[in-house]
Amino acid sequence: MSESHRIADGLVDRTAVLGFSFNGRGMAGHPGDTLASALLANGRRMVGRSFKYHRPRGVFSAGSEEPNALVQLGSGARTEPNTRATTVELFDGLEATSQHHKLSLDFDPMAANNLLSPFLAAGFYYKTFMWPRRFWEKLYEPLIRASAGLGRLSMQPDPDAYDKGFRHCDILVIGAGPAGLSAALTAGRAGARVVLADEDFLPGGRLNSERFEIDGAPGSEWATKAAAELDSLPNVKVMRRSTVYGAFDHGVFGVLERAADHLPDPSGKPRQILWRLYAKRSILCAGAIERPIAFGNNDRPGVMLAGAARSYLNRFGVAAGMKAAVFTNNDDGWRTAADLSRKDVEVTAVIDTRDGTAPVNISGASIVMGGRVIGTAGRKALRSITLAGGQVVPADCLAVSGGWNPNVHLACHLRGRPVWNPEIAAFVPPEELPPGMAAAGAAGGSLGLSVALKQGAAAGKAAAADCGFKAPKQKAPRADDESGAISAFWHVSHSKGNAWVDFQNDVTFKDIGVSFREGFRAVEHLKRYTTLGMGTDQGKTANVPALAIMAEMTGRSIKETGTTVYRPPYTPVPISAFAGRARGKDFRPVRLTPSHVWAERRGAVFVESGAWLRAQWFPKDGEDHWRQSVDREVVETRGSVGVCDVSTLGKIDIQGRDANELLNRVYANGFSTLQVGKVRYGLMLREDGIAYDDGTTARLGESHYVMTTTTANAGLVFAQLEFARQCLWPGLDVHLISTTDGWAQFAVAGPNSRNLLIRILDPEHDISNEAFPFMACGEFTACGGHPVRLFRISFSGELAYEIAVPSKCGRSMMAALLKAGEAYGAIPYGLEALGVMRIEKGHPAGNELNGQTTALNLGLDRFVSRKKDCIGGVLSRREALQDKDAMTLAGFRPVDREQSFNAGAHFFADGAERTPDNDEGWMSSVAYSPMLGHTIGLGFIRRGHERRGETVTAADPLRKKETEVEIVSPHFFDPDGERLRA
Amino acid sequence: MPEFKLAPEPFLGGYSGNFGANRLEEATDLSIVSIACPQGGRKALESAVSKAWSLRLPAPGRTESAGTDGPVLMFTAPDQYFALLPAGGDPPLRHVQTALGDAAYCTDQSDNWVALRMSGPLASAALERICPVDIDPSAFPAGSATRTVLEHIGGIVFCEEEGRFLLLAPSSFAGSFLHAAETSIKYVS
Repeated sequence: MSESHRIADGLVDRTAVLGFSFNGRGMAGHPGDTLASALLANGRRMVGRSFKYHRPRGVFSAGSEEPNALVQLGSGARTEPNTRATTVELFDGLEATSQHHKLSLDFDPMAANNLLSPFLAAGFYYKTFMWPRRFWEKLYEPLIRASAGLGRLSMQPDPDAYDKGFRHCDILVIGAGPAGLSAALTAGRAGARVVLADEDFLPGGRLNSERFEIDGAPGSEWATKAAAELDSLPNVKVMRRSTVYGAFDHGVFGVLERAADHLPDPSGKPRQILWRLYAKRSILCAGAIERPIAFGNNDRPGVMLAGAARSYLNRFGVAAGMKAAVFTNNDDGWRTAADLSRKDVEVTAVIDTRDGTAPVNISGASIVMGGRVIGTAGRKALRSITLAGGQVVPADCLAVSGGWNPNVHLACHLRGRPVWNPEIAAFVPPEELPPGMAAAGAAGGSLGLSVALKQGAAAGKAAAADCGFKAPKQKAPRADDESGAISAFWHVSHSKGNAWVDFQNDVTFKDIGVSFREGFRAVEHLKRYTTLGMGTDQGKTANVPALAIMAEMTGRSIKETGTTVYRPPYTPVPISAFAGRARGKDFRPVRLTPSHVWAERRGAVFVESGAWLRAQWFPKDGEDHWRQSVDREVVETRGSVGVCDVSTLGKIDIQGRDANELLNRVYANGFSTLQVGKVRYGLMLREDGIAYDDGTTARLGESHYVMTTTTANAGLVFAQLEFARQCLWPGLDVHLISTTDGWAQFAVAGPNSRNLLIRILDPEHDISNEAFPFMACGEFTACGGHPVRLFRISFSGELAYEIAVPSKCGRSMMAALLKAGEAYGAIPYGLEALGVMRIEKGHPAGNELNGQTTALNLGLDRFVSRKKDCIGGVLSRREALQDKDAMTLAGFRPVDREQSFNAGAHFFADGAERTPDNDEGWMSSVAYSPMLGHTIGLGFIRRGHERRGETVTAADPLRKKETEVEIVSPHFFDPDGERLRA
Repeated sequence: MPEFKLAPEPFLGGYSGNFGANRLEEATDLSIVSIACPQGGRKALESAVSKAWSLRLPAPGRTESAGTDGPVLMFTAPDQYFALLPAGGDPPLRHVQTALGDAAYCTDQSDNWVALRMSGPLASAALERICPVDIDPSAFPAGSATRTVLEHIGGIVFCEEEGRFLLLAPSSFAGSFLHAAETSIKYVS
């Protein structure tokens, strides 16, 4: 196909040719083209079909408001549906295909829907597919979805990179048209940090689409110079291809930068960047969008907005048709006629809805004042139009102007309601704009060029002054204000055929009538009943005409009728841009333990524990089931010695004269008697008396403590302690700092743990049972003078220690411990064996401290000291929390030792119906005990401590399993604690 | 000779990478000690800091530097500062405790943090992708430092000089932190 509709002039670079394809057919365009302009240049008028009726559709606009020309862009994994051809910057090799049709664009059997349109009006689905109910999910919905349009996803991972960013400025100028450029120049020259963002790749806005002059030169030249100056200013950033899609609280704006969408291959660089932009001031210079007039069959390819026809003509050097007519209710439409005529496009007629005399003389055109277009003809594209008097005018392009709507969206994102301005028959920004925002030019309702330049400069000056910058005196650029006189006109009565209001969602004048008759008369109801404005274009060309039509039907004014709520995003933002670089294994940052690399080399299997990756077990050759590894780790640790990385536990360094007092207040049990060189187990409660976290605190010096917390609660406990010290008791002299990442800490457990550590520690340290008994701690040296901390504490129930070393030495400490333990057959053990051993020992952990249990439930009620107050102390003594029949922690074993059960099972008396009323409690942790040779469990059951020896049923309906279990002590292994004190 | 050896290893193995005129490297030349001011002891701490290093306590968002051989003091929280010391001298904690005596509560933070130094003409542009703080020289001149969140990791950004930033993150995040910084600099260069 040749560039049959390419004419002289325009801002595209004719010296270079870009090859692209549409539905597999090769075409040519030039740098500076959009896909839409290139399609039109190649004479392609029908570019897609409509959503519901599958009617032929063509390019309707020249911007992001486009409702019709939606294409599937690219192929393979890069394919992207619902892309507006009017905003796609042409590049060499671009592939586009049409969407919204079966078989082919030219022959679409679904176009039969069009014949059924009298039956498919608004509300049809709601009324028709109600019965029978069960048909909805299986039949109706799949059927409707299959017949409706929209493009297709590739179903493959997106091969491109996306990113996010944070940008700060004094002044954000939204839109690089005349007002925006003028504002940015003024503020930029004053020295303010300015960001100028525009969705287009070419700054200038309407200056590139019109023949306006500034300072005696074409407006587009002025825009080029202005953009060049702004590019040269170090304090100004011009963000091209960047849509400010939302205004949020506190001067925050969302900006989508299409950084590499215009390149055939982004070469690994982000395709799009989602910016969070912080601005002290913002100037809305987003221009205006032209709106259509509703008349019979006004959706035929070839019917387009009058300003868009001018854009294609003046900016892209493309005639949207060779025989054009204009239908307008304002003077601006006449500009299209004049421009077309100047470029030797035959203008067959200008139809103005207003009475009076023609504002411009268009030679050769039939001028119809007070006229109406009532219908159009042409099977797949416009051939002629029919006027109210029956006159048929030949036309392959009908340029329609119903007036201009200022782009008030961003001014309304914080719930502002726009104000109706009858002078321009349009809504203008609300009086109360988002804090720090001003509007200038067309976006503010001032539709002339001269006034846009002036307002932009004034807004730029004022915003700069607000930020402490004085704008230098400058000569205002000279330009004229064009006439935009308008008389509101929304739809042609007595049209022949349906008159479209929302082109994207196929909502017609008739549908609005149905909505009115059905009582859905408020704009929000109209929207939802008819789906008007609910397409990907969000009704940019449809909403105002629709509400004006509804206003006419109800007899209310447009002001009374009002608009729907404006919400971000202004134009669609791909989900991939929201995801940014957070995908795959980089979805969230990962924390690695100091021995991670060592464990990896040892073949460890890892498990996520919050952000941490922890070694779960260390398989040996010949072990092909995790239980084999875990059982071995437990048996060998209890048999000799095992080493486990427990660095993930939270560590908080606490210092100060009142450190002890703080501990005494945040822990439920007493800490005032803790001696230097000793460790104590501590239980924390929430304010409401529920158990919160547990751990140990070691006293290293008179006013120096180190607290450990559970892995999961490390951050929360730290925050809680900071709150306590800063807000609850600011009078205490106590300081906190996290040292979780600073120390690698290893549990060394088993009867040979002491023997192993003696080999590691420098010889001057005595850790015999007498010198370093259970719950002792100290600061020692190891391996030739390296500082270490040693704690004699045990989670496994064995003779055990935890040894801490600065993290940078963590890997070599793990290796040294295993090497030193070779003589004893020392092994590394993982989180799973740790869990088995703690269940064997009856220690509560996360499954038990689940935010619902009290100290009483956990069997730790004696830890809540009555001799002192603590956080949660008073409320833990509430009657309901002191119930004698309360659930308490108990051990469970299968009556038939061959049986097993799972955590999550609930307890019922034998024979009791499995109802919530008969539910006696639940199993919280379960493991196979290699020491005992059968499954064991911890759980909560009413009066558990009094019911040892009773049997109940552990019912697990999810797994369809019931097991008879005996209630026993939770301390399955070494109940008297002889091993840990050995 | 001890039978078993412990050897400190940098968290990122001493990583360094050049990206055009930009450089990203693990800063292995630093020790960090936190300094907390005892309640009612601000004057004593000011005087101790002045005597030890001829420095003032830095204002919020700022650092005070004692030159190439001395520490950089960084404001990190009300009544809390970090002393960034050149590595290689005395054990850092002992050094600071000796210098300040009872005027401060000190904790060794050296192994708590992994440090990356990002420098070059595109350092700011790279940081823009992960750092929500305004790092423009007009808002964050040389000597500024602040806690922030870098790609979901709580960290610290310190502008050592225009175009050179020291970035600190908890050491367990070292791999992810490097990935975040490296990805950013690759994306902009």
